[in-house]
Amino acid sequence: MGVTAAMEWLGSCSGCEIAFLNIGEDLVPLITETLDLVHAPLLMDHKYFGQCGEGVTLEIPDAVIGIVTGGVNNREHLTVLRQMRKKCRLLIALGTCATHGGIPALMNGQDQQASWQAIFKTVSTDPGAEIPEVEVPPPLDRVYACDEKVKIDMQLPGCPPNPELIAELLVAIVEGRSPVLPGKSVCDTCPARREGRSVVGKVKRFIENVEFDPGEPVSGMRCLLEQGFMCMGPVTAGGCNGGEGVPACISARVPCRGCFGPVRKNGNQLLDMMNGLASNGIDFKSVVDRRSILRFSGAHGRLRPLKKRVAKE
Amino acid sequence: MDFEPKIIVFCCNWCSYAAADLAGINRMQYPHNVWIIRLMCSGMVHPEFIMDALSQGADGVMVLGCHLGECHYRDGNYRALDRSDMVVELLEDFGYEQERFHLAWISSQEADKFVEVVSGMVNRIKKLGPAGG
Amino acid sequence: MGRVLNIAPVSRIEGHAKIAIHLDDDGNVAETFLHVQSLRGFEKFIEGRPAEEVPRIVNRICGICPWMHHLASNKAVDGAFGVTPTPVGYKLREMCQVMAHISDKILHFFFLAAPDFVLGPDADYSVRNVMGLVKAAPELARQVVRMRQLGQKMLEGFAGRAIHPVAGVVGGFAKPMIEEERKELLCGARELLDFSRYALDFAITDVFAKYMDAFSDLGGIKTGFLGMVDREDGSLRLYDGKLRLMKHDASFVDFEGDDYTEYLAEHVVPWGYSKMVYAKSWDEGFDMTLTAPRGIYRANTLARINVCDKISTPGAQAALEEFRSLFGRPAQQTLLYHYARLIELIYSCERTIEILEWPEITGSDVRAKVVPKAGRGVGLVEAPRGTLIHDYTTDENGCITSANMIVGTTHNIAPMNMSVKRAASALIKNGVYSEGILNQVEMAVRAYDP
Repeated sequence: MGVTAAMEWLGSCSGCEIAFLNIGEDLVPLITETLDLVHAPLLMDHKYFGQCGEGVTLEIPDAVIGIVTGGVNNREHLTVLRQMRKKCRLLIALGTCATHGGIPALMNGQDQQASWQAIFKTVSTDPGAEIPEVEVPPPLDRVYACDEKVKIDMQLPGCPPNPELIAELLVAIVEGRSPVLPGKSVCDTCPARREGRSVVGKVKRFIENVEFDPGEPVSGMRCLLEQGFMCMGPVTAGGCNGGEGVPACISARVPCRGCFGPVRKNGNQLLDMMNGLASNGIDFKSVVDRRSILRFSGAHGRLRPLKKRVAKE
Repeated sequence: MDFEPKIIVFCCNWCSYAAADLAGINRMQYPHNVWIIRLMCSGMVHPEFIMDALSQGADGVMVLGCHLGECHYRDGNYRALDRSDMVVELLEDFGYEQERFHLAWISSQEADKFVEVVSGMVNRIKKLGPAGG
Repeated sequence: MGRVLNIAPVSRIEGHAKIAIHLDDDGNVAETFLHVQSLRGFEKFIEGRPAEEVPRIVNRICGICPWMHHLASNKAVDGAFGVTPTPVGYKLREMCQVMAHISDKILHFFFLAAPDFVLGPDADYSVRNVMGLVKAAPELARQVVRMRQLGQKMLEGFAGRAIHPVAGVVGGFAKPMIEEERKELLCGARELLDFSRYALDFAITDVFAKYMDAFSDLGGIKTGFLGMVDREDGSLRLYDGKLRLMKHDASFVDFEGDDYTEYLAEHVVPWGYSKMVYAKSWDEGFDMTLTAPRGIYRANTLARINVCDKISTPGAQAALEEFRSLFGRPAQQTLLYHYARLIELIYSCERTIEILEWPEITGSDVRAKVVPKAGRGVGLVEAPRGTLIHDYTTDENGCITSANMIVGTTHNIAPMNMSVKRAASALIKNGVYSEGILNQVEMAVRAYDP
């Protein structure tokens, strides 16, 4: 019998779960021998309130390993997360939503109440609609990363996380050793050719393709930042390539947007990126919509609604 | 209850910290809302220090250095000046009013200016209200 | 007032929902609800962002069909900026989209739905899942895992990422295909086509033959259908075409995606975050009553198979003909969603091969010139879960000023609620229910692949 494991998704898109399934052929022994799944809504039918739905309190079975994906957006997520913490000996936050807020934390940058009201007043919505409030979990004041609410033992970011790293993490835990996870930035793992300073004083929007020879590997292509594209490689944790090989987006010849969150756990991608651009002689004011540099790491109070300018006396 | 702000003040060892010290020796009065952190140079204040202070409960942050041209390390305060433009610009991105940051130059003898600058900051932040609110 | 059974979470589906079954004093079903539990607010937080960045943000709406959101969004931004993608860019996008359908369908049918059929709906929950499938049918399970992985790896190898893609860009595609990539993809696509034929045969003999009669009525309801068809010949299309809204009597209207607000509208209920899309153009309002529903239509596989006149690829067309001869048009049985899904699986493989065999696919002109500007664009694709609509307006800098989205699943929220009620009322009598019975109620939801 394998080591018991429970999986839960909070405010997630299920991309992390698909990444888990993308482990591929090793998945079969992983979920049938190495691990013994006791709770995982995507894959199996264990229910919160008993199998016949008669219970009143939410129950998740005891497990050695707990995996949570998604950020904490509403009361139900909070209840589920606390229950997972209570029942799992080792709790893993999987994916950037769980570790840094992820895309849904973009909501932290604006007035949530006003936004929700507007969502129920779009062109195609019947007039007079109100925000649903019956039997649906009420939202929290903002989107939280898991470690803001409970103690998290291990983190593996990524949007989505790399399947090989997920497998490495789980197998390492079962074998009782430290997992081998990358600690470098995307830039450090990127083979694109760097020639020195950028040729331009400004960054451009990604409305034209980068310059490259399709027949050549990425190592023949000039660094995208040096080509004048905003690429967040310097301020983003590596790992999207599984530790070796070309970073995922770069291999599609598209600049990085920071989906693994900051290199250091508490790093600030926006601040570091601006600092980096400024120190390379690039005008940081040329970045359109700077705040979206925090699109993957807006929890931990990083993204807040804009304050109105105080009128000058 | 009246709002009592918490202001973090980064002072350089050679000028502004000495000025604060002198203000104390002279028994000059200044608001108790000020928390001083001594660094060797105003040029050492990474923007992250400022954002971290604000995100962890400070209501305002000041960087006080030597007058331009008088830096103990020749150009540390020029770096602080360059950076302050960016900090002011970025404060709004992080959801803070620009007024929550202030940069000033104070020599080791200007105890009165130190008192004036920090008192002014405390008053401004009192009007602005808490950073987290 | 009797008791309430809370089936939470609804499992082996691709989202967050719970079913509440309210029983009356005699233990019969009084009311049922499918509560959708999650709301994140994508429509609002893309406002102000440069439109060309949005396709890389909205793909995070769904990790199972990120390609669909990515491409619908790209099409909407194309429209807002007034750009027409180059022919090669268009085809590369379409190829990625149909390839994404392949893995998705394998995932849904074999990983999520098949355990009910192979192990039986009444099997214990600890084995009624993909892990149980591995033990009960190891050869099949291994094959399924391998085929799904092949589809994902093909996408990843060519486009950099399978989940949350970035290679579709405003004006076309980020990189051209080289000859070696084409050969490799073609090889994989042929293997997948073989598997898809096997999958349909397997389902017909081992699943539908066994369960179709027993479950012919599971969650059965009578509704209209919505799906995309080719502008010229009315054949099945997934990436681009006009929309067809069919009534249950098989009469239909065709319209362009740009005009969607004239035909569709969204109803809001206080007990679920998901809006419910209904046919506004029928002028009969919205009503989920089982006996006399109003404005209710369904989307997703069965709908597409019902509305299309034909399918342009041979294997899928043959399967469609057989399907129609057995079940007519439109077919209404909810369980037929699975059948239709496997026909689409064949189409997706055949279409991928067709595109890869197009001689110009390795052309280098993959992206048209893009100038950000003010405008409005509506982007549509057929996602595995139904018609996906992204509607953006931009300002003169090409930043989003407003956005409206109708996500595939929302078309089926109302019909799913009806199917749940139908299934629960038929199965739960006089307070008698069991885990197996409640699982059958969930099966009615699972067929829709929400």
